[in-house]
Amino acid sequence: MSKASVFYDKFERHSHGQGLKGHATHYCPGCGHGLAHKYLAEAIDALGIQDRTVAISPVGCSVFLYYYFDVGNSQAAHGRAPVVALGHKFANPESVVISYQGDGDLASIGLAETISTAQLGAPITVIFINNAIYGMTGGQMAPTTLMGQTSSTSPSGRDQSNGQPMKMAELIAGLDGPIYVERVALFDAKQRIKAKKAIQKALKLQMEGRGYSFIEVLAECPTHLKMTPEETEKWVKECMEPVYPLGVKKDLTIDPWFKRNPPCFQGEKLLSLAGATYEHPVRACKGFPTHLAPQDISLKLAGSGGDGAQTAAMLIARSAINEGFDATHIPSYGPESRGGTSYADVHVAEDEVLNPGSPDPQILLAFNAPSLAKFGPTVRKGGYVIYDSSVVTEAPEFDPSIKVFPVPFTGIATDLGKAVVKNIVALGALQAATNIFPRETFLTAIRVALKDKCALIPLNEEAFAWGIKSVEALDQ
Amino acid sequence: MALKERPKPFLLPEYCKGCGRCLDACAKDCITLSDQINPLTGLVPVELDLTDCNACGMCMDACPEPYGLRPAHEGEVQDFELEDPAKLFGVKPSDALEPSDIPNEVLPLPRTEPLVIKGTYASALGALLAGCRHVYGYPITPSTEGAELMAKFLPKLDGTFIQAVSEVAAVNMMYGTAGAGLPTMTFTSSPGFSLMLEGVSYMIGAELPGVFVDVMRGGPGLGNIAPEQSDIKLACHGLGHGNTQAITLAPSTPQEMLDLTMLAFELSFKYRNPVVILSDGYLGQMTGKVQLPDSMIKPGIPKWAVYGDAMHRKNLISSIFLTETDLEAHNHHLNAKYASMKVEARAESFLCDDAEVVLIACNTPARTAKGAVQDLRNQGIKAGLFRPITLWPFPVVDLIAAIKGAERLVVVEASAGQLEDEVRLALSKAGVRQFPEIESVRRMGGILPQQNEIMAQVLGKKEVRA
Repeated sequence: MSKASVFYDKFERHSHGQGLKGHATHYCPGCGHGLAHKYLAEAIDALGIQDRTVAISPVGCSVFLYYYFDVGNSQAAHGRAPVVALGHKFANPESVVISYQGDGDLASIGLAETISTAQLGAPITVIFINNAIYGMTGGQMAPTTLMGQTSSTSPSGRDQSNGQPMKMAELIAGLDGPIYVERVALFDAKQRIKAKKAIQKALKLQMEGRGYSFIEVLAECPTHLKMTPEETEKWVKECMEPVYPLGVKKDLTIDPWFKRNPPCFQGEKLLSLAGATYEHPVRACKGFPTHLAPQDISLKLAGSGGDGAQTAAMLIARSAINEGFDATHIPSYGPESRGGTSYADVHVAEDEVLNPGSPDPQILLAFNAPSLAKFGPTVRKGGYVIYDSSVVTEAPEFDPSIKVFPVPFTGIATDLGKAVVKNIVALGALQAATNIFPRETFLTAIRVALKDKCALIPLNEEAFAWGIKSVEALDQ
Repeated sequence: MALKERPKPFLLPEYCKGCGRCLDACAKDCITLSDQINPLTGLVPVELDLTDCNACGMCMDACPEPYGLRPAHEGEVQDFELEDPAKLFGVKPSDALEPSDIPNEVLPLPRTEPLVIKGTYASALGALLAGCRHVYGYPITPSTEGAELMAKFLPKLDGTFIQAVSEVAAVNMMYGTAGAGLPTMTFTSSPGFSLMLEGVSYMIGAELPGVFVDVMRGGPGLGNIAPEQSDIKLACHGLGHGNTQAITLAPSTPQEMLDLTMLAFELSFKYRNPVVILSDGYLGQMTGKVQLPDSMIKPGIPKWAVYGDAMHRKNLISSIFLTETDLEAHNHHLNAKYASMKVEARAESFLCDDAEVVLIACNTPARTAKGAVQDLRNQGIKAGLFRPITLWPFPVVDLIAAIKGAERLVVVEASAGQLEDEVRLALSKAGVRQFPEIESVRRMGGILPQQNEIMAQVLGKKEVRA
C-alpha cells in the first residue's frame, strides 16, 4: 500500500492532472487540511466504505476536496454542505455522507444549516476544520479567530467590537441531536493519532445508523498566520488550545435507529391516500340548470370563520362535478386565524368554468349582516339572496327582480342540537330556493363528505330537510 | 514467528512541499531540510537518511500530502533517479465502475372518478405521481398547504418530508437529493423563492433536476399574502447569479396544477435542469375538478447521479469550472441546452383564429380573461385569448399565429407589466417589428384584474374609436 486507496491514483480534476498537480494537493505547505484529508481517507479505507461514501465539498480552501477522494462527490454552496449532505442521506440512507467544512463555511455563513442539521440528528458526519482564519479569501477574520489575533479584517487584533470566537464543538455538544462530538488537533504525534481515531469513530457511528457526529479539528494555516509550519503548530498548541480545549465533548451510547424502508410506489396506496374513488356516483340531474343560467352559474357564500361557508361551497362544487359539470371554489379569508371573514366564490358550468371569480353573483348565501350588506348590492338582477334571518334582523332593500329568502339557519341548527349544521340548513334552503341541483345530488355529496363520520349523516340530512321546509314555508 | 517488518518511509522530492511537519515527528532525527531548492517545484524538500530509522511511521502520519512521505514498497530504496510519475503511479485515476442509467418505470393506474381538490393539493399529487418522494420546504403563505400535504402523505409512502430551517436550507437539501439522482421538489411563495435563488443557480450550474412550485404573492418585500404575478421576471430572467434559465410553467386550473407538475418532473430530468411552476394564490386555493392520469412513475437513477453506491462512485456534482476556458465551454453547453428547450414551448389559443382583439394572460387572470372573451363574443366582438403555458421558453411561434389578424392586443395581468415584458421580448427576439400597440389591464397588491375591467378596457376604447 503506497497511500490510502481512497485517494485517486491521479488527481485528474486538479488542473486536468497536468504535471506535478496530478499527485500534489492544492494546499499550502504545512496546511492542516492535508492531514485531515489523509486521516479521512484512511478511515474510509479501514471501514471499507469507499463505494458508499458521498463527500460534500464546501466553499473555502477545501472546496476541491473532490480532486482527491475517489468516492461519490458533491460540491455545495457556501455554508450549505450539511443540508446538501442531508439531501444525499435521505435519498440513499445506505450511503455514508461526510460534510467537510471550514470555519467560515460552518461557523459563519452556514450557521443556521449547521445547528439545525446537528439538532435534526440524522446520521451524517461533519468534519470541521478550525484554523482561526479565512484561507481561500486571503486571511480575513473567521468566527473562530482568537481575541487579539490580527487578520486583514481585524488589523489591530480581534476585539470586543468583533465579538468573541465561536466554540463550535461545545455549542454542537449542547444540542440534543448529536451523539458524538470531539475536538482534536494535529500539532503533535499524540494529537494526530487521536484525530485519526476520532474521524474513524465518527464514520463508524454513521455507518451503524446511530446518529450525527461532529469532529472539530484544530488545524494550521501557516500562510495566513504568516508563520512557519513549525511556528504554527506551536501557535495552535499554545494559543488556540486554551480557547478551544481538546477532547470528547459528547459521546452517547445509542442504539441504531436510522432505518428507512424503500419508498412506496404502489398505485393503489397512492390513490387511496388521494381519496380517489372508482365508482361513478349516481346522477340525479336531467341536465344543466339552465333556468339559472345558460352555461355558467356564479355563487357567493359569505360569513365568518366557523359558519361553514367553505364546506357548503365545497359541497356545491362536489355536487356539480358528480353530475358531470365543471365547478370551481375559491375561498378567501381575513387575516385572523379564527373568527375572521370567510367568503367563497363558486362557479358551476356546463362544460368549463371560464372565470372562477364571483364579483357579481347570481346567488348569494349570507351567514351574517355584514356579509349581506357587503355582497347584497352585487347580486345580479333576477338573482337569489338567501340569508340567515336568525342573525340578520334588518335586511337591506333589494332590486325587485331579486328573490330574497330569509331562513333562520342558526335557529334551526340550534333546535336540532348542533349549531355547526347551520351551513347544511343553508344548503337545503339554497336547493329549495334555486333548484340548482336535485335534492338527491346534494345528499349524495353530503354522505360522501361524511363517509368517515357516518354517525353524523342523519343529523345533516335532517338539517338539509329543514332548510328545504323553511323555504317552502316562505313560499306559502 | 517473526514480526512483520514495518515499511520505512519513502519520498519523491517532487511531492514534498517542505513544510517540515515530519521533522518533529521523527524521534531519530532521520529527516532534515535540504539545502537546495528543487528545480521542478521551486520548493525546498526534506531529505531522508534512513540509517537510524526504526520505521515507527510517525513521519508519514505527519505528512499532509497524499503522495508525500509514504511507506516504501518492497525493495524500494530512498535512492533513485526520477521516473515519469505516470509510470510510477499508473495512468488510471480510479478503478470506479462506468455508470449506466437505471430507467424510470411507468406503472399503470386504474381509472378513477375525478377528484374535487385545491390547486396546491393537485400539484402535490402530481409530484407523488411523478415519483417524487423527497420534499423539502419552509412554511410560507399561501403555499403552506403543499408542505402540509407532503408532511401528511410522504411518511405513509416511506418518503421524506423535512421542514428545513429556511428556504436556503430547503433548496440545498433538494440539491443533495437531486445530486443523488432522485426527483425532489418544494412549495414556496415569492419571498421564499427569492431566498432559494442562490440554490437554483447552483442547481443549474451543476445540472440538477428539481421542481419549484412558487405560489406567487404580492410584493415587493413582505408585501402581502394575496395573489400577484410578481415573479415572472424572476423566473424568466433572474434565477440567481450567472447564465441561468429554467423552463417556467404557468398553470391556470387545478387540473393543470397536477398535469404541469408531472410534466415539470419529466422535463427537469430530460434536461437536467430545475423547472419552475408559477402559480398564484388564487389557483393554489382554488378547488376544481381534477382527473388523475392513467399511469404513475417509479423513478430510476440516472447515470450521472452521486447516489452513494459502487455504480456511481465515479461521479461528481459540481458547478465549479476553475479554468476560464472550461467555464466558457460549460456556458456554451448550457446555452445549447437552453436552445434545445425551445421545443417545450406551450400555449393555449382560445378563439384566436378570427380574433380582432387578442387578450394575453396567464394563471388565474387568464381564466378571468377567458370569461371576458366569452362575454365579448356574446356582444358580437371578435375577441380571443392567448395564454402562454410556458413563460420561458415563451411560445412565440404560437403567439405570432394567434395575433396574426389582431387589431388590438390587451395584456391582462396581476403585476406591473412583467408579462407584457415577456411578450415584447419574445416578439423582439423573433424579429417581429409590426404589431398592434399593446394595451394593458393591470392590477397589483393582491388584486386580480376583474372581468368588468377587461370589458371596460376593450369596450371603452371601441366606443372612443366609434
